[in-house]
This record gives sequence, structure tokens and C-alpha cells, in this order.
Amino acid sequence: MSYQVVTNLEQALAALKNAAEKSRIIAGGTDLFLEKLPENLLDVSSLAEALVIEERGSNLLIGAAVTHARAAASPLLCKKARALTEACAQVGSPQVRNIGTLGGNVINAAPAADAAVALAALGAKAELLDCSGNTRIVELEELYAGFNCSAIDSCQELLLRFMVHSGGPGSGSAFTRLAARKALALPMANAAAWLRVENNCLWEVRLVVAPVKPAPTRLFKTEALLAGKPLTAESWREAAQAAMEEVEVRGSLLRCSADYRRHLVGVLVGRVLETAAGRALTGKGEA
Amino acid sequence: MPTETEVKTREQKAVTSYQTPEVWAKVAGKAIYGIDLKLPGMLYGKILRSPHPHARIMGVDLEQARQMPGVRAALGGGDLSCKPFGIVYKDELPLALDRVRYIGDEVAAVAAVDEGIALKALEAIKVDYDPLPAVFDTEEALAPGAPQLHDQYPGNLAWQRELTRGTPEAAFKAADLVVEGTFSVPQVHAAYLEPICCVADYDPYGGLTLHTAVQSPAVVSELVADVLELPSSKVRIVGPVMGGGFGGRVYGNLKVYIIASLLAIKCGRPVRLQLTRQEEFIAGRPMIAAKIRGKLALNNDGLILAREVDLITDNGAYSAQAPWVSKTLSERNDSVYRIPNIRTTVRLVCTNKVPTGQYRAYGNQAGNFAMESLLDMAAKKLEMDPLDLRLKNCVKKGDVTVHGLQINSCALSDCLQAAADEIGWHKRKPGRGYGISAAIHASGSLVFDKNLRGASAYARLEYDGKVTLFSGEQDYGQGMHATFILIAARALGLDPDQVTIYTRDTLTAPFSIGALAMRQTTIGGKAVQLAAEKLREKMVQAAAEMLGEPVVMEGGRVRSASGKILELPEIAAYYRAQTSGLSITGEGKYVPPASAYDETGYGNISVAYSFAAHAAEVEVDQETGEVTIKRIVAAHDSGRILNLISARGQVYGGVTQGLGYSCLEGYLFDGGRVLSDSLANYRIPTALDVPDIIPIFIEEDDTEGPFGAKGLGEIVMVPVLGAVANAVADALGMRVTDLPITAERIYQAIAGWECEQ
Amino acid sequence: MQKELISFTLNGEIIEVYADPAISLLHLLRNELGLTGTKEGCGEGECGACTVLLDGRAVNSCLVPAGKVKSRSVLTIEGLARGDQYHPLQEAFVEKGAVQCGFCTPGMIMSAYSLLQEKPDPTGHEIKTAISGNLCRCSGYKQIEEAVLDAAEKLKRKGKSS
Repeated sequence: MSYQVVTNLEQALAALKNAAEKSRIIAGGTDLFLEKLPENLLDVSSLAEALVIEERGSNLLIGAAVTHARAAASPLLCKKARALTEACAQVGSPQVRNIGTLGGNVINAAPAADAAVALAALGAKAELLDCSGNTRIVELEELYAGFNCSAIDSCQELLLRFMVHSGGPGSGSAFTRLAARKALALPMANAAAWLRVENNCLWEVRLVVAPVKPAPTRLFKTEALLAGKPLTAESWREAAQAAMEEVEVRGSLLRCSADYRRHLVGVLVGRVLETAAGRALTGKGEA
Repeated sequence: MPTETEVKTREQKAVTSYQTPEVWAKVAGKAIYGIDLKLPGMLYGKILRSPHPHARIMGVDLEQARQMPGVRAALGGGDLSCKPFGIVYKDELPLALDRVRYIGDEVAAVAAVDEGIALKALEAIKVDYDPLPAVFDTEEALAPGAPQLHDQYPGNLAWQRELTRGTPEAAFKAADLVVEGTFSVPQVHAAYLEPICCVADYDPYGGLTLHTAVQSPAVVSELVADVLELPSSKVRIVGPVMGGGFGGRVYGNLKVYIIASLLAIKCGRPVRLQLTRQEEFIAGRPMIAAKIRGKLALNNDGLILAREVDLITDNGAYSAQAPWVSKTLSERNDSVYRIPNIRTTVRLVCTNKVPTGQYRAYGNQAGNFAMESLLDMAAKKLEMDPLDLRLKNCVKKGDVTVHGLQINSCALSDCLQAAADEIGWHKRKPGRGYGISAAIHASGSLVFDKNLRGASAYARLEYDGKVTLFSGEQDYGQGMHATFILIAARALGLDPDQVTIYTRDTLTAPFSIGALAMRQTTIGGKAVQLAAEKLREKMVQAAAEMLGEPVVMEGGRVRSASGKILELPEIAAYYRAQTSGLSITGEGKYVPPASAYDETGYGNISVAYSFAAHAAEVEVDQETGEVTIKRIVAAHDSGRILNLISARGQVYGGVTQGLGYSCLEGYLFDGGRVLSDSLANYRIPTALDVPDIIPIFIEEDDTEGPFGAKGLGEIVMVPVLGAVANAVADALGMRVTDLPITAERIYQAIAGWECEQ
Repeated sequence: MQKELISFTLNGEIIEVYADPAISLLHLLRNELGLTGTKEGCGEGECGACTVLLDGRAVNSCLVPAGKVKSRSVLTIEGLARGDQYHPLQEAFVEKGAVQCGFCTPGMIMSAYSLLQEKPDPTGHEIKTAISGNLCRCSGYKQIEEAVLDAAEKLKRKGKSS
């Protein structure tokens, strides 16, 4: 069959196996449709196991077929993965959010894909299955092979879901972006932060900005600088400066120059840290 | 100025004013637009475009394409015998013959049984190009040794103009203050939502019928006939519903209609040719880009003494309407204020980039950006309130401007004051920037056709008592049909539901220059009024004959002195019997008052002039440079507003387009390649980008316009550019002089200033 | 792709159409099924003129492969009126002057319909967000926003949300 819709994992893996690498997995399809559609498609947008949004122990499980709209509206994610809901709410337009999935967003491998940036800051790992049912769990960054180039062969492996640590007490996250207009626009730059506060100081920080490298990239140097720092404007200023020095940016005629992008990185880093810290202080055990 | 009660009363009446039944078809998804049309046996056309910005064509091999199953025609420039055509200068061919001059230039065209095959056929066409050096910058194009695009434009200068009125040199010498600045605006596209689509249908007896929605069908039919060397009566345009125009659907895309026609004639079957959205951007005729160097001379009291403008506009590869647009851009703003001395230099320069067409307001808004920015710069130096500076200098009723425009009605001062009051000019919120700007636009410009300055219309009494109007003016959603029906209904004393209007078939519509020059209300509407009045006269006359006594028409029926009543169907039946089949028809011929203008363009070029003042309130994020426009107050003098619900729509829509031009839109090029070739990269405002817009109508009857009305449709997008630029400068303390005013440009302005510190 | 039988619910009716599952839902509707109410403004999901509801949610039909709608439900502008009874949204759009050229109107109404299903009492900002994926070049969106508010009122008075 050339366009097959599957609703459970068994079906999906059997179909993948049968297709012998000739059928490509499709979820929402919005990115895929813009290129030439492959000959055979395996539609997993109704795959039950890929639609979960749940908490299991100290982990949040988010199915790869969850749409941006569902993620943005999820009370659980709003409470425990705020950066992700903020990111998802700003992608494209309602029409895109209603059908575009988190998995699709990551597989499309755009360097500044908002959901991917938030997931990276939340320390997300991805669960992949091959057609024999073998599972592997990888860091988000490992899903990228280059700019706009996924490391996953969607004719061989299914991205099933993401796992994110629920933050625990004293943690908070935030996402922000700047684009040329307020909808239907790719970001000029975006930033996401997750942090944990103890005794009014930063205990742990994960900071991601894009577009910088092919994959959403942690700013490890800036993170290291922030360890133990107080939650003050001075700290955010220092972090902004450090982030500007740490990133390698490229400019584009269509979006913005490298110089401005670097400047934006600084501004967005300062803002996203401040917001995340505010949430860490006021949220009781919420991320 | 009307009292609040009067406006509210009128608003209550006007809010329930008329929309034609077509609006119900639109909300039901039943309206048929050009892209929805399907004719039996219809083929699909596609155009092959040059990938080179400048190249010689050494050969075009169409054989493989022609042999492809499903292909019914494949044409190259060599298959045609058409002479060059154009709007101002004849510098284009339907398909390039020996040279291509921009990336996207039309080289060949195919017609096939479906779009997929047509696209494959394009791939099978082999064109042998010999690339030539290309030039993309206007100043480089003017320099000696630059690649020459056209033999007919030596030095790549397609058009130029030098104009002096008064004694500007002396005025500049005597001035207490001179301010100057250099501004730039990019190409912008009308970005109507429905792509251009034409279904051409040819039969040797009936001739050529083009099913396509254009703003000036009569003119387009004649232009097409001329190029194809067909008798003009054998080219008919039948318009489906139009999905937006804004000047972009006037005649700039003539090539599409011509190529569709050539394919239809070749195949003997209807051919559908539609531009993809990408083709719209790379070949669909945006408006000129411009570099504007301006100078103002003032005295210490703030009186403007002189203005100097040196303008370079970017023609792109072919001229179309660019000379006219350049002219309007260079001089329209001179007539907003009492400026006694002016000096203008305009150069229209060819480059190997997308050729241009026209857009709403015809360059006036670009000129507004430059002029109004200079005024604020002057106000700052004089330590004068920018509002007071404008009130001091703005034109008033009775003025004759420096270009000879006769201002017979003008509420500009009231507009400025109303806009300022509503925006809170003297009650500013902290952290916000405020700007104001004023504009004039010709309402019924007469310069497009020296021989045909007015308009005509017919009003016909049907046998059922309803009235049908025939006019050549076009409605593309701005409410022209509804307004004309209101005018006719008012003139006839009928309910609007009793009147229908047809405009979209050149076979039955009177000739019209079309929906441009903001002429439809003033000129087209007046013709409708005259036609309706003539019909009324004739109906009364026929009724008087029928009854043998004097009669009067009131409330949709006729009453005699002795109390006898005649209904309209009875009168129609009588007339039909008397004349062996005719219907009572009123012919309305509107010939505008005499206006002479000399070869420099000095004279009263329009029937009336509309005015507007916009005020903007903005917030600038000084860290990111992001501009948030909080409010725009748009105060308009368009005479009597006949259709309030649609007038409000024009303000909201036009101001939004102006905001797009100010802050979001603009072509981006990489050499000759258009980078912003999609709605993703050519960004028009979304619902989340639009601020509060407050329309204010200052209504003073115009002396000429129907029931005192003047045009509104183009001026709505003019002063918003100056207002936003000035508001941003007020918020920032420094000025961005290149459009669009993006966050990055603001960042550069701040960074540059900080460097200087 | 080879043509397949695509069975789905369209405007409340179960239909079967034999078509290439790789064409867009937009082309399926316009070309195969003759429903030209849904418009193509760009073909790449950037203008919203092609908006329809898929299982009750607004999507750009130009980016939905036809194969995706198998066994699902699609609602287009043609499915809104009941006989000659217009939907309150359609009435409100007319009454508030929210229709100029009308090209964006079908998609705009579908996005608004989707919003009112989810939020019968939307704020101005929620309305603007719901239609933020529908470009309009004519109207500046203001009268459209007024129409959606008016339709919400009408529906509340009728006592239902659809």
C-alpha cells in the first residue's frame, strides 16, 4: 500500500518491516509536503503509543506524534515543562500547530526549531525503534547530522517519544524567541533555559540558544559561569555577555545579520534566565 | 465638523447600509474567482523563465516538449511576430527573442492537458543562454561602462525629469534652516491573496475572451488586442470575482494575459495560465524601489520656503508604469503644504531585476516617508511642535499648490487636529513615541488619458421595475458596487435592493480607465449618479405621456397631479410597446470640469483632492530594537462618506498595508535573485501584528463628487508611513531612514550612535 | 502515487473518492470533488486561505496529503450552512463588513469556527491568535474580529456553540 495509516506500535513496526526501507514515516506532514513527497508513506499521526503525555516516576513522557497545539495546551506540560509549552504555542500558526508534531519538528532538523530548542534545554532524550522492535535511547543532539539534516533515517527507524526529567522542587524553565512578525515567522533567534535554584542561588542550569549549530546546542561555558551565582540582574548580564562570546553565529539576508543575531542571543539569554528563575522561585516543585 | 450625534445617527443609518448579495456567495464559498474557473476542454499553461539576470538567447529547442504526450502547444519568442509593447515605453515582448534581462524573464510557454505534464514539458525545453554581465544597483547602472539593458535607454536611464518651480536656489540661500536626509524604500508587492489567473478562450468567429479579473478591463482588452494585432472589438474580458487588486491587478501583468491568449489561439482550446505565488514575487511586478535625497528650507518661524528632491528609482528590467509612479513619488507631497519653491530631479534607472508595476497610492506613500521625516527633523531643530509646524504650513481650501492643484475642498487642518487629539498628542504616555503625518491624494486624477478624463454609465429600467446599472469601474472588494448602488438608489429614490450593477464584461460595460487614480467614487460614481438622474427624468417623462398630465416620482413610484399612481413595471411596459422593444435607459456622461496642464505637468490634474492625517503611538524595545505599534489614528477628509461600513474597512485595511510597508515588507535580493519569493519571506501583517486603528472621518462636502464624496481607497495607506517613522524617531531619539523599519535597523541605529559616543 | 480509494466523512457525509493519496487535501477538494470554496493562495501553508477542519481542528489543507484523511472527518466552508440557513459566523461576517474581496473569507471563517468550538467566549486576543494563520490583505482584520465576537454572542443566545 502506498499511503498507510497505522494506529498501534505492532502495526507500525510490521509495516516498516514489510516496506523494507521503501516507506517513509510521516506524522503531520507539513514540512515533508513542502519537499517532494516520497513514493510510500507510513502515517503514524494516530499511533497511540506516540501520542502519550504522561508522568512516569520522575520522568515526563511525550509522544513524538503529539502536536504542538496539544503540547501547548497540556496542563501537565505547562506545570512541569513550561519552556516546551511556551515554545509550542509560538510555532507558525494555529493551522501548523494543530497538525505539526514534536517528532516531526525534530526530524525536520531546522536549527532553530522552537520545540527542539525547548526540549534540549529540558534535557530531553529520544526513544527510537527499528522495525524489529529494538529500542535505543539517545540525547537530542544525536538526532542531528547537519544543518537541516536529520541523523535518523525515517525509512528505518521510528522516533517514538521524548523523555524529560520533571524538574522537582526549585526548578523552572522558560523559552523566548524573536521573529520579524508575531505569527507565521521563523525566529531570528530563540533561547530556552531550565534551572534549579537552592538557597537563592543557581544550582543547575541548562541553556540553549539557536540558530547557532545544526542541533540545538547547550552553552556549556555560560552554564558553568552561572553555577552558584545569585539570582540578580548582574548574573543575567554576565550570562548574556558570556553567551554572546560563546556562540558562533551565521547571518542570512532573509532573517538577520550575524552581528545582530549575536546581540539578540545576549538579550534573549538574559531574559529567559530571568523568567526561568522567577518561575523556580514561585513554583512549588514545578519546572 | 459634524457633531457626535450627527455622526452616530449617520453611522446608525450607514452601518445598515448596503452590501451587494455577492457577499453572501463569498461567505458560503460559492463566489467564483479566476482560479476557480473551469471551461470545457481547458488546457493548462506554464511559463519557462530565465534563470539568468542577463543573457543572450542563442537558441530555443522546443521539439522535445512539443512531442510530449499531452502537450498541445509550445511557443518561444521566435514563433511570434508580436511587436514590442509596454505601458509608457514599448520595451517588452511577450516572450523574449534574443535577450533576457532578469531572472524570471518569460522565454517560452506550453499548454498541456494537465499541470503536471505542462511542468514536465517546461523541463524538456532546451534554451541555450550566453550569459552577459549584469547590473543590480541603480548607481552602478548609471556609471559609464555598466552593462546596457536596452538600446532605447542609453546609459540605462529609462526616464528622467528635472523640474523647477519658483526660485528654489534663492530660497535655500535665504533660509534660516536647511534640513536634509537620504531615505530609501525597497520594492513592495501588492500581495493580493488570489494569484493572477487568466483563462483565455479563442474562437475565430467570436474572437478572444479573457476570463480574468483586472482593475482596468477595457484598457487591458485594447492593449492585448494591439499586441496580438486583433481588432479591439474581438477581445473581450469577462471578469470573475477579484481576489484583491490594490493596483497590482491594473495592467502590470499584461504578459500573462498575452501569453495565455497566444496559447489559446494556437491550440484552439481554452488555456488557463496562473502565476504561482513564487512567480507573483519574481515576475509579478512590485512597485519601484527608490533612493530619495531630500532637502527642506525653512525660516525661524517654521514657514517652509523650498523643497528639493533628488530621486533615483529602480526600473528593474522593463518600464511598465514606472515613469508615472516615479513622477508621483517625486512631487505629490509638495502639495500637502504651501511650498512656493521646488526643485525635483528624477532618474528612472534600469537594472537586471524584476520589472515593476504599480501599487496603491502610486509612490505617494514612499514620498510621504521622506517628506514627513524631514519635517520632523526641521521641527526638532526649530524646537517647534511637529503638529504646529504642519498646521502652520498645510494647504487650505481655495489654495492653488505649487504644481497647480486647485484645492476646492480641504479639511486637512481638522484632520491633523483630530488625529493629534485622539492619539493624546499633549497627553503622552511615558516610554512611548508619537508621530504625525499629513497627505494629499488626487481623487480622480485626469492625467492617465488626455482624451478620456471622465466616465460614463447606463441605468436601465427593467420590465420588473428593478434598475440595472452598467459601469466600467471595478469592485475588487473595496465596496465599489455597493457604493454605486447606493448612489443610484439615492438618485432614484429607490431601495438599494432594487438596483443591480454589472461591471465585469467589456462587451456591455462602458469604457473605463479602471480602478486606479482613486477615481472610482469621484468620477465613476458621478457618472452613475448622472445616469440614474437621467433615467429618472426619462421615466417621469414616459409616465407623464402615459397619463397626459404632470407627474412626480417619489418612493419608487410615480404619482400624477390628480392622484393617479403608476408603478415602474407599468412604465417599462408602456415604453417597450411604444418603442417596439426598448428599455428606458439613462445615459450618464460625466465630463469633469476643464483642467489644463502644461508639458511640465503644472495644472489642476484632478477633479478633487482627498486629505488625511495619521498619528502613531509606538513602543520601541531598546534592547532588541523591536517596534510595537500601539495605536494609529487615521483622520480622513474624503468628503461625504457614502458607505460607512466599507469606508471603515478601507481605513483598517489601508493602514495595515501601510504598516506592512513601514515595518515588515520589502524585497530582498541576492544579486538579481529575489530571496523574498514567498509569503513566508515577504511578510505582510498578520492579525497579531495589527494595532488599534481608529478611523475618523471629517466630512465636508466636495463641490464635484457625487453627493459630496471623494475617494478614500488609496490615501488610506499614505500618511501612516511618515507617522510611524516619526513615532519611532520620537521614541528612540534617532531616526531610521530606510524602510522597512526592522528591529535590526533600530539596533544598528542605536549601535551606531553608541559608537559615536 | 497510485490512486487509492479514500473514504472519509466530508461535511457530515461519508464519501469515497478514488484519488492519488499524495495530492494535497486542497487539490482533492477543489479538483477531484469540485468544492472550490476552499482557496489556494500560496500552496505552502503560509496564508491560511486553504483552511479546513480535520477532526474539528483547523489545518492548512494544502499541506495535508489526501491519504491522511482516510476514516477521518473534514469540514469545509461548504459544510457550514444548513440548507439556506447560514451559520451565525457567516451572518456576522456579512453584517460586520468583514468581507471585502472575500478570498480569505472561507479559510478565515473555518479558523473562527474552530475557535468557537473550543472557546465559546473568546477575548479579542484569542480571536487574533486563532486567525493569526489567516492572512487578509484587504481588511486589517478589525471587522473580522468584530464579526467573530458577534457570532459568539449569537451562538450563546441560541444556546449552543456550533
